[in-house]
Amino acid sequence: MSALLGYEPVPDEESSERIWLEAPGTHCVATSCKEELLAAMNDLHPREGARLFVLGAEVGLLAEHERRALLGRISFVPAHGGLISSLNGWENITLPVAYHAPGRLLRLHDEVSDLLDDLGGVDDNLLARLPEEMTLYEKRLCAYTRSVLEKPRLMVVEPLAAGLGPTKRRRAARFADAYHARCPGGTYVQLEE
Amino acid sequence: MFAFYRELEGTAHLTLHAFKRVGMLRVPPVMEEFVRQVYFTGASATGGIVLRGAFIGTLIIAYVIEVLNADAELAVKMLLWVVLREVGPLIAAVLVIQRSGTAVATELALREISGEIASLRRMRIDPYDYLVVPRVHAMALSNAALTLYVQFIAVGGGMVLSSLIVGVPLDEMLTNFFLLASPLDLVYSFIKSLLFGGAIAVVACYHGLHPGSHSINAVPRAAIRAVTEGLLLVMLLNVVFAYVVYGTAFFGLVTAEQ
Repeated sequence: MSALLGYEPVPDEESSERIWLEAPGTHCVATSCKEELLAAMNDLHPREGARLFVLGAEVGLLAEHERRALLGRISFVPAHGGLISSLNGWENITLPVAYHAPGRLLRLHDEVSDLLDDLGGVDDNLLARLPEEMTLYEKRLCAYTRSVLEKPRLMVVEPLAAGLGPTKRRRAARFADAYHARCPGGTYVQLEE
Repeated sequence: MFAFYRELEGTAHLTLHAFKRVGMLRVPPVMEEFVRQVYFTGASATGGIVLRGAFIGTLIIAYVIEVLNADAELAVKMLLWVVLREVGPLIAAVLVIQRSGTAVATELALREISGEIASLRRMRIDPYDYLVVPRVHAMALSNAALTLYVQFIAVGGGMVLSSLIVGVPLDEMLTNFFLLASPLDLVYSFIKSLLFGGAIAVVACYHGLHPGSHSINAVPRAAIRAVTEGLLLVMLLNVVFAYVVYGTAFFGLVTAEQ
């Protein structure tokens, strides 16, 4: 028995509830151990006693190089975006690609433009702005675009529509569709407290 | 005591990492960080040292000639020994600690606290490769360049200003300078300043990436530690270097056995 995303917290603790997602698609999971799960997913090292399952593998049983390889197949978008403050929008979006596959960078412009159009379009100068000059929605949009470009098999997000106005909420609601269009068979999980 | 050993081990690890992973500078985002750091540490710092360098050179010549009642040859000798070998690299190092050491420690501590370092890890980007390697190499190179600049300004400016203020003939000082100067002085100070810059960067990066806590108070603490320990390390390296190269340290109080 295996899960695309599964988490079993330390058994004897209060509010310990199991998360178990077996089918690909879009899921919305409300859990009290969200922070614990996100911390475990950060470097794929769950707390002692807890068990984390990602894309069919129990990470506790994996060697370090297998965990690193697995990290390349998952992505996480925090509610604040998690952008790098010294890089502008374009540099933030392309950072993982420029770092891990610089050769792909030359072909990335059209891909980013199409993706941003699918996500509802952006101001012309968004890509030239630093994160401190962006709105919360723009930060999330850049972070989400960055994650989708990596084509992860498992995409975990915090509620990306929270705290936004009605227009932006509608746009944020379409984010999952843009992911599935580019990563067919992928799993999109929205984690809520 | 335990914290001291932990810091020592941490900085040694960062130093080794920066040397072992120098090839990461070929990766475009790392190279961009390197260029950015060279600009902030080297290029944008040059303006501030012109006046300081020229005044220090003038001060040394004026003191030697007026207070010690010496001639132009001794004044130039002092300029060479003091500015080229010791004060030049030290001034550049202090300037780099004051401007870039604090900036790097503060920036990295803020990045750690705001979760940017965790963001990098999630993108499978090693923060040591992306943040430490370019900073260490950029600060080492920038410090060496600044040192050459300080030496040029202090020696040249010192001689020009002294000829105008103290009245020592410029051609006499120039003749003495070219007679007494040796390439070893420049090589010695260049290598020393490379080491100084690298050491300042390693200390600043270590304290920036290990701010101690995730509160905002940890940021100034990281900057203070980076400055005080950076200065201490530079002084220590200076003494060790002087002893190894010239067999003398602490202004001749300690000398190598003949």
